[in-house]
Amino acid sequence: MTMLPQRGTEARKMGLVIDLDTCVGCHACAVNCKEWNTGGEAGILPDYDPYGEKPDGVWFNRIHSYETGTDGCARTVNFPRSCLHCENPLCVTVCPTGASFKRAEDGIVLVDTDLCIGCKLCSWACPYGAREFDEQSGVMRKCTLCIDRIYDDSLPEAEREPACVATCPAKARHFGDLADPDSHVSKLVAQRGGTDLLPELGYRPTNKYLPPRRAQIQTAPRETCGAAGQGIGGALLRLLDKALSR
Amino acid sequence: MRPAASVLLLTTLTGFAYGLLTWLGLYVAAGAPPAARLLVLAGVGVSVILATLGLIASTLHLGRKERAWRAFSQWRSSWLSREGLAAVLTYPIALAFAWAQYRAPGSPAARSLGVVAALASLGTVYCTAMIYASLKPIRQWHNRHTAPDYLIYALFSGATLFALLHTLAFGTAALAASLAALGAFGALIAKLAYWRHVDAQSPIATLASAIGLPEGTPARPLDAPHFTENFILREMGFQIARRHAAKLRRIALVVGFALPLLFSLLAQLGTFPLASSSLAVACAALGLLTERWLFFAQATHVSALYYGRTV
Amino acid sequence: MTGMPPSVIEGVEAPRSGAAAGTDSESSLPLSSKSVAYTTCYMCACRCGIKVHLENGRLRYIEGNRNHPINRGVLCAKGSAGIMTAVSPARLTTPLKRVGPRGSGSFEAISWDEAMRIVTERLAAIRASDPSRLALFTGRDQSQSLTGHFARMFGTINYAAHGGFCSVNMAAAGLYSVGGAFWEFGEPDWEYAQLFLLFGVAEDHDSNPIKLGLSRLKARGAKIVSFNPVRTGYSAIADEFVAVTPGTDGLLVFALIHCLLEAGRIDTEFLVRYTNAHHLVIDDAGGAEHGLIARNAQGSELAFDRATGSLASASATGIDPALAGTFVLPDGRHARPAFALLAERYLAAEYAPEAVAERCGVAAATIRRLADEIAEVAFNQPVVLEQPWTDAAGRRHTHMVGRPVAIHAMRGISAHSNGFHTCRAIHVLQMLLGAIDTPGSWRYKSPYPKPIPGGLPPGRAAGAPGAPLTAAPLGCPTGPQDLLVDAQGEALRLDRAFSWEAPLAIHGLMHMVIARAFEAGPQKIDTLFFFMSNMAWNSAMNPGESIRMLSATDEQGEYRIPFVVVADAFASETVAYADLVLPDTTYLERYDCISLLDRPIGSAHGPGDAIRVPVLKPKRDVRPFQDVIIEIAGRLGLTDFADAQGQPLYHSYADYIVRHQRAAGIGPLAGFRGADGRGIGRGEPNPEQLRRYIENGGFWVHHLPPEQLYYKFANQAYLDGARAMGFIDSSAPIVLQLYSEPLQRFRLAAEGHGAHLPPQRLRERVRRYFDPLPIWYAPLEQAASHDGRYPLHAITQRPMAMYHSWGSHNAWLRQILPENRIYLHRELAAELGIEDEDWVWVESRSGRLKARARTMSGVNRNTVWTWNAIGKRVGAWGLKREAPEFRRGFLLNHVISEFLPDERGEAAHSNSDPVTGQAAWFDLTVRLERCAPDTPDETAPRLGANPLRIKRHTESAA
Repeated sequence: MTMLPQRGTEARKMGLVIDLDTCVGCHACAVNCKEWNTGGEAGILPDYDPYGEKPDGVWFNRIHSYETGTDGCARTVNFPRSCLHCENPLCVTVCPTGASFKRAEDGIVLVDTDLCIGCKLCSWACPYGAREFDEQSGVMRKCTLCIDRIYDDSLPEAEREPACVATCPAKARHFGDLADPDSHVSKLVAQRGGTDLLPELGYRPTNKYLPPRRAQIQTAPRETCGAAGQGIGGALLRLLDKALSR
Repeated sequence: MRPAASVLLLTTLTGFAYGLLTWLGLYVAAGAPPAARLLVLAGVGVSVILATLGLIASTLHLGRKERAWRAFSQWRSSWLSREGLAAVLTYPIALAFAWAQYRAPGSPAARSLGVVAALASLGTVYCTAMIYASLKPIRQWHNRHTAPDYLIYALFSGATLFALLHTLAFGTAALAASLAALGAFGALIAKLAYWRHVDAQSPIATLASAIGLPEGTPARPLDAPHFTENFILREMGFQIARRHAAKLRRIALVVGFALPLLFSLLAQLGTFPLASSSLAVACAALGLLTERWLFFAQATHVSALYYGRTV
Repeated sequence: MTGMPPSVIEGVEAPRSGAAAGTDSESSLPLSSKSVAYTTCYMCACRCGIKVHLENGRLRYIEGNRNHPINRGVLCAKGSAGIMTAVSPARLTTPLKRVGPRGSGSFEAISWDEAMRIVTERLAAIRASDPSRLALFTGRDQSQSLTGHFARMFGTINYAAHGGFCSVNMAAAGLYSVGGAFWEFGEPDWEYAQLFLLFGVAEDHDSNPIKLGLSRLKARGAKIVSFNPVRTGYSAIADEFVAVTPGTDGLLVFALIHCLLEAGRIDTEFLVRYTNAHHLVIDDAGGAEHGLIARNAQGSELAFDRATGSLASASATGIDPALAGTFVLPDGRHARPAFALLAERYLAAEYAPEAVAERCGVAAATIRRLADEIAEVAFNQPVVLEQPWTDAAGRRHTHMVGRPVAIHAMRGISAHSNGFHTCRAIHVLQMLLGAIDTPGSWRYKSPYPKPIPGGLPPGRAAGAPGAPLTAAPLGCPTGPQDLLVDAQGEALRLDRAFSWEAPLAIHGLMHMVIARAFEAGPQKIDTLFFFMSNMAWNSAMNPGESIRMLSATDEQGEYRIPFVVVADAFASETVAYADLVLPDTTYLERYDCISLLDRPIGSAHGPGDAIRVPVLKPKRDVRPFQDVIIEIAGRLGLTDFADAQGQPLYHSYADYIVRHQRAAGIGPLAGFRGADGRGIGRGEPNPEQLRRYIENGGFWVHHLPPEQLYYKFANQAYLDGARAMGFIDSSAPIVLQLYSEPLQRFRLAAEGHGAHLPPQRLRERVRRYFDPLPIWYAPLEQAASHDGRYPLHAITQRPMAMYHSWGSHNAWLRQILPENRIYLHRELAAELGIEDEDWVWVESRSGRLKARARTMSGVNRNTVWTWNAIGKRVGAWGLKREAPEFRRGFLLNHVISEFLPDERGEAAHSNSDPVTGQAAWFDLTVRLERCAPDTPDETAPRLGANPLRIKRHTESAA
């Protein structure tokens, strides 16, 4: 049913927190996501023309890079983009078949590929470009938040996280319950000023992004400055006068 | 947005079909002469055939056509589902209306069914329009113009067809041509207003906001995730040169609205009524297809922000 | 023998996805529905531990091994895409013998029996006459302890791996300065560093550990400063980005040192205890010992003790050594502390920030502020660990005190012809701060530190042809006597490593092998044997010229380089130039060891090594190269590979890994040694060793006790332990070399002193570049006059998702980067009238190429750059002819010359660092010009297609 589920205040909001301050743009999450999902319950994520002229394929996660700021102090920001599992997912409500749905228990937005007719309307409804059409099977695909990992009791508990999170070499991706204010992810969002993407559109994404920041070092005023000259002098001479013990 | 032939055909054909059915219904409700029995029957036939063609065309872009029937289930939330249901429901209504009018022309049943058929037709067009109007990521669609415009274009294109059928039946277009002329004028005004609106709109979002940075932060794309064009760019990243678009707009205005207005007036005045009303239909069809192509091609999707486009 | 019609290289159909992996491999593990195997990744050189999942005998999923010390469960894009390499269409399938002209790609498939017969007969003949006529050069190899040992036992000095064109400047500068090095032999202290300085590190070495480390720094709020011309990758997330002009980092570091000296903010206590700062340097201009360290009769270095006012052994405990002043030696000569020379040099006005700012492209105020920040963190925010330890002088310390300024430096430093000295400058900066192996600073990875310079001198031929070399072919010369030169002082090695042209070429000069083999001709070289290196393409400077030389013939039509053997798993551009192709397995199909004898997986926390296990069984007719080399060695009867009767000792590499002993009790793997499997480092071979590794997740680590974790160069408990494990021969402290005496020895020879003198033509060069204290000079190529014709620096970076040429035949990775762009600053682009996606000519002194432009802001204003090794030659790597890698991908290599400007031929100097022979990739300068608007939509130059065409015989096809 593509009506949004009635979700109590206690319902979990499983999602990702992505740290743009730490993401180095290495594509590890994107590739590992493809690797996990293509052989898993999600089914094959096809590649078109893999060794030819226009290599293309289905990816649930894509890594952009941008430059922000002005020329003088430009910063490169790497930006992973995937489904945000919105609270208000228009992609779900526009679906005519019920293939797209949002789970009541954890808020994960999924596509039932057995019901999907491939009308692509959900992809039009998603402002984040998170939906990927599978040309080979004619249905819409998307991030599943690795439901076949996060609820797999046969995995050790530490491994029950999405593949993108588990593999992220910079630890820029975090997974947890964003409805729980005491969760690791909620605390990160609170501490670091986590933001919504495109808040003005009102989709209320579950996933949050932590903005880039800038660490600084405060220094005391210099002891000496500008006393450049030949030979040892000034502060260094005073230093060398001190007795040493080898 | 990529202007797919299937959706262009769907919306244009169903516009003609449901517009025609609306006029037929109102025609009967308003007390059509008994002589119009065959006209109404034929008109409903044309309408049903055009609607069916449109609906068939719409399934062409489905990835899994054999599952199209599933699309009727989510009417509670999905305008696409509602459109499908409305279209399907309109069939028996149209047939009942045609049957009633054929068996008992001008009977209260026929007249009431005429009103119902008109409402069902307009309802279906409205559902179609709302598929587009409800999509927040596309500012050229998600606005107060889209739904009324679709209704106006349907009424306009249906009227040209009505006028043609009327001419075929009675040799004169009579009031129907006036309706078509009025429709053409209304559609022209609506289209101009729509373009004025979308051209004046400011972008609904910026790249900074799309990547979670404070509003006003300058941001430029450096590298896209993949080099080759992907689904998002093919589907949502369609771009058309401004000069090309301006030319097409002029074509749409002239062919789609001005010429039908002119031909409808000629038909109304009795100048080569058959030729004039035929040309009005042909021009309307061509012009509306162009207009519809532009409606897609000039629509920008917020997700293209990620690829450095403005939306 | 009827030939089948030629066909393109046999590959499998591209899978629809990774789920179809394994189409011509099968699981070598039990075919239970689900199983896992732990092995080591080889999608790049990082050696991450991986957990390979198999389902119904097929590859299902590769993830990081959470227990592995290198990657702790994470895995990069390349590693995750390994599943697609298992189905790559570029995989070779059978041994090949050339049938067409060299380079044409025409081969016939032959059996392994025939291939082994050909190579063994050839090598046996070479060995019987002059073993050095075999040149064995391996690429990004992780079995150098095997291949190097093979070369030694074969008796050829002509052996090296890829280090000469990779990062030998870092290795050599590190080993000669601190007995360790950035990357392979050291790592930042991610746990305690408060200020992290990255010099010239883009997406390269190393991959996952740096990312993991950066995240730890970020989590703690430490500051990251990146000195790099380009702001991508790690620089993207740096808190401060310093867009230094390529090749000027050394100058920048001198300016930092200048500021620190000026402010007296250095750690003198550290200097006198752990470095040779106080050692007295003989000041006797013109004398044979000028610039050497003064020693007493017992040979120990002298210092001046201010407490007693007399000379004393520099290693004595309790003295108050002078760091400034001039002192008189017993023989009347004068001597000055090394530090005094250093301070005098870098306090000079020429190294003031204001003097270097313009050249470096960094504002003087920025340099001064950075120096302040470095000093602030080092001296006002020391890390104090409650950890007692005992130093080599026997003093017990209650705490470990550290300077939390950590530095990492890599390719951007090393790939310049001034890289050795620049890297040494960085090590000097570290020493001045006391930021070597102290808490929060840069740390040694086990089994380092090693006594400086870190190894034995290179081996040389001794005795009759075929006798083993005196030592391993690669080593560390300590003076002119260790060079491999003839009586005239000319190079003995083909690549001229360890000659006066590149005395400290401790990794060889692989980038010069083809050119030098071509020049030398058949008298000096018979067989060029390449393993896993793409010397006819992206590993070559000037690929077009390399290709020409590989296929050049003499007047009789004989090839100038008589025989070329290529061993590789994939159909690289180089394979087409082989006379014999030995197809290797992929990394999931063989045993390997990541050995302490080579470059292991040790960390600052202790030694470690790892193995690879075959997870898939190839259905192609391929063999692991290591098995092949062991079989060749056995057939040739080489010492250590065959017994006295000439019978092979090992049936496979796995067998060799377990049973081979390099020295008593020391073998390829250090863990689980001895009959009981408890031996660490030393112990007799354990037949169960591989099983123990497999049970342990494919690796072994030994955690050093906390007392041994820092100050390893002078931490007595560590030194004793390292000696017991066989890492070092003596537990004497390792004195860090602020002042490098070995360099001065070479300089003295250049000034005419001693028995081993450089040829006249090289004397000025050696004198100039062998300065015992770091110097800066403009990169050699840039120093040559071009009348300003090439005003822009041009460099490459390795993308994070690609490893050199290994990415493009991977169906997933090539979607990310199937073609590349030349990036330039937006202002520069505006000046040149270039817009995004325009085609431009990139022209250097040696040629020009066509590329598409992309503009950006995060780049040095006068630098253009691109991703490395994206462009491919039509027909290679199993890609279709329309592939963008061929049409729009380009190699900057095409405009890089292997020789210095205006030089060519035998007397020409290679485009390398004059100290180490490191390939100076990043010295390149170019100009840019927009192409005419009607230019074809493809790159230039495009070399002709030469896909492999393989004749198969009916019987073998059957």
